[in-house]
Amino acid sequence: MKSEIIKKLEAYLREEVLQQPEREIKADEALISSGLIDSFSLVDVALFVEDNFDVHIDDTELNADSFDTLNQLADLIIERQDA
Amino acid sequence: MSLLNILILIAAALALRLLFPGKLRRWALLVSSVLAIFWLQPSLPIRQMDFWFPTATLGLVLASWALTAEKEQLKARQNQLAAALALGTVLLLALLRFVSLQGVLTASRPPQFSSVLIALLVIALLAALLVRFLQPTRPALTAGVLLILVIFVLLKTPALASLSSTGLRSLMGQDKSLALPSDLGWLGFSYVAFRLIHTLIDRMNGRLKEMGLDEVLIYTIFFPTFLAGPLDRLQRFRKDLNDPQPLDAEELRTSGTRLAAGLFRKFILADTLALVAIIAANVTQVRSAGWLWLMLAAYSFQLYFDFAGYSDIAIGVGRLLGFTLPENFNHPYRQPNLTQFWNNWHMTLTQWVRGYFFNPVTRALRKNKKLPAPLVIFITQVSTMLVIGLWHGITPNFIIWGLWHGLGLFIHNRWSSYTSPKRAALVTKRPALDKVLHLSGVAFNFVFVSLGWIWFALPTPALALETFGKLFRIA
Repeated sequence: MKSEIIKKLEAYLREEVLQQPEREIKADEALISSGLIDSFSLVDVALFVEDNFDVHIDDTELNADSFDTLNQLADLIIERQDA
Repeated sequence: MSLLNILILIAAALALRLLFPGKLRRWALLVSSVLAIFWLQPSLPIRQMDFWFPTATLGLVLASWALTAEKEQLKARQNQLAAALALGTVLLLALLRFVSLQGVLTASRPPQFSSVLIALLVIALLAALLVRFLQPTRPALTAGVLLILVIFVLLKTPALASLSSTGLRSLMGQDKSLALPSDLGWLGFSYVAFRLIHTLIDRMNGRLKEMGLDEVLIYTIFFPTFLAGPLDRLQRFRKDLNDPQPLDAEELRTSGTRLAAGLFRKFILADTLALVAIIAANVTQVRSAGWLWLMLAAYSFQLYFDFAGYSDIAIGVGRLLGFTLPENFNHPYRQPNLTQFWNNWHMTLTQWVRGYFFNPVTRALRKNKKLPAPLVIFITQVSTMLVIGLWHGITPNFIIWGLWHGLGLFIHNRWSSYTSPKRAALVTKRPALDKVLHLSGVAFNFVFVSLGWIWFALPTPALALETFGKLFRIA
C-alpha cells in the first residue's frame, strides 16, 4: 500500500509540480529542505493529498519537520488513514 | 544585551538546572523568566514604564491564556500556583522601591507599592472573570488575536506610538512636547505577540487542547528566547518542559560549543563589522561607490552574525535548561536563490508566517480553481513579505523592504518555473555547468539581499534612494 501511495505522489510531483516527467524522485530524497518543492507547491501537495487520500495536512505542518521525503509523507498519510 | 548580561544569564541557567531538579525546575523557570523580563527591560523616558511594560506582558499572557481556558481550569492547583508565583514575583520586585537596589533588577525605582498591588489584582481578577464567564469560542479567541494586533499597530506605527506616548506622558505628569515613538520600547513585545497569537489560533483550530497557565507563561517569556527568538511552538516546547534532555557531559559540551560560537559571532565578528557597516550617520559622508559597496557587504554580514549569534546563545542556554530549541539560521548567504534564502533566514519567523498567513491564504485561493497560479503566487508572496516587513515596524522603509523581497520571490518563482526543466536537461548533458550556475546564483542572491538591506538599515526612503544613487553612480 505504501509503495502505491509513493508511486502516486511521485507521479504528481514529477508531472504537475516539477513539470519534468522524466525526473526520478527517490523515496528518501529531500523535497522541502533541498528546495525542490517551494512553499507555494507545498500547499498544492497538501490539497492533492486531501483530494486523493482523504487525509488533512494542516497549514502549520507544511514544513520539513513534518515530512521531507516521499517516504515520510506516505507514512504520515497511512498513519492518519488508520487513525 | 551586553556581554555581562549574557554571562549572567548563562550562569543563572546553569545554577537553575543544578539547584532545582525534578518538578522544581518548572517553577524555577517561571520565576526566573519573570525576573528576567523586568531585568532586561531598559529604562524608558516615560516614568515607571520600565516596570509597567513587563507587568503588562504578564497581564497579556494571563488574559490570553484565560481566553483559551475552560471553566474547570480555574480550579486546577497548577494554574493557581502559576498565577500566584508570577504575580507574587512582581509584587516582590515592587518592594525594591524601599531598598536601594534600583538598577540591579529593575531599570529604575518601581512605582508605588499600592499601585502595583492594585494593577496585579486587576490582572488576576480580569483573568479569573474571562475564564469563568467566557468560553474559548471562535469569536472570543479572534477578539484576543485582534487585541494583540491593535497593540502591535499602536507600538509599531511611529505616529501612533508618538500619540500613545503623549497620552502616557500626560498621565505621568511629564512634558508632552517631548513625546517620541521610541518612548514605547516595550521589550520583547513582537515575539510575545506572535507566540500568543499562535496559542490562540491553534486553540481555535483544535490543534492545541487544554493549556496550563504555567506552560503558556514559561513558553511566552522563556528567558533565553524572550528577546530575539527563536520563535518556538508550544506543542514542541512543552515536550522539553515536561521531559528535559538530561544535562550530561555530552550535552554540556554541545551547549558550550554553541555558546562559544554565538559569543564569537556576536561580540567579535558582528561588533567588529559594525564599525564599518552602513548606518544613517555614515552613508551621507561616503563619496566613493567602492567603499559604499564594502560597507553594505559589512552590514549584510554584521546583521547575520549579530542575529545568528544571538540565536546560538539562546539555543546554547536553552540546552543548559533541557530544551532543544528550533534552529533559526542555516547558511542563508550560501543559498543559490531568494526562495532558498528565505527558507534559511530567520527560519522560525518565516515558518510562523507561512503557517498562519501564507499557507491559509494560498489554500483558500487555490481552492478557487478560476484564479491562475501566477496571480495566486503574486498575491501570496507579496502579501506574506509585507507581513514580515510590517512585523519589523510599520514604516515606509520596512514596507518597501517587504515589497522588495515579495516581488523578488515572485520573479524568482516565475523564472524558476520557466527555466527549471531546461536547466535540468542542460545539466544532465554538462554536469560541470551545475556548479557554475549554483555559484552565480549565490553571488546574485547575495547582492540582491544586500541591496534590500539598504531599506532595512536606513530610516527614510530618501536616504535609501540617495544611497542607491551613490552605489550605482547615479547623480
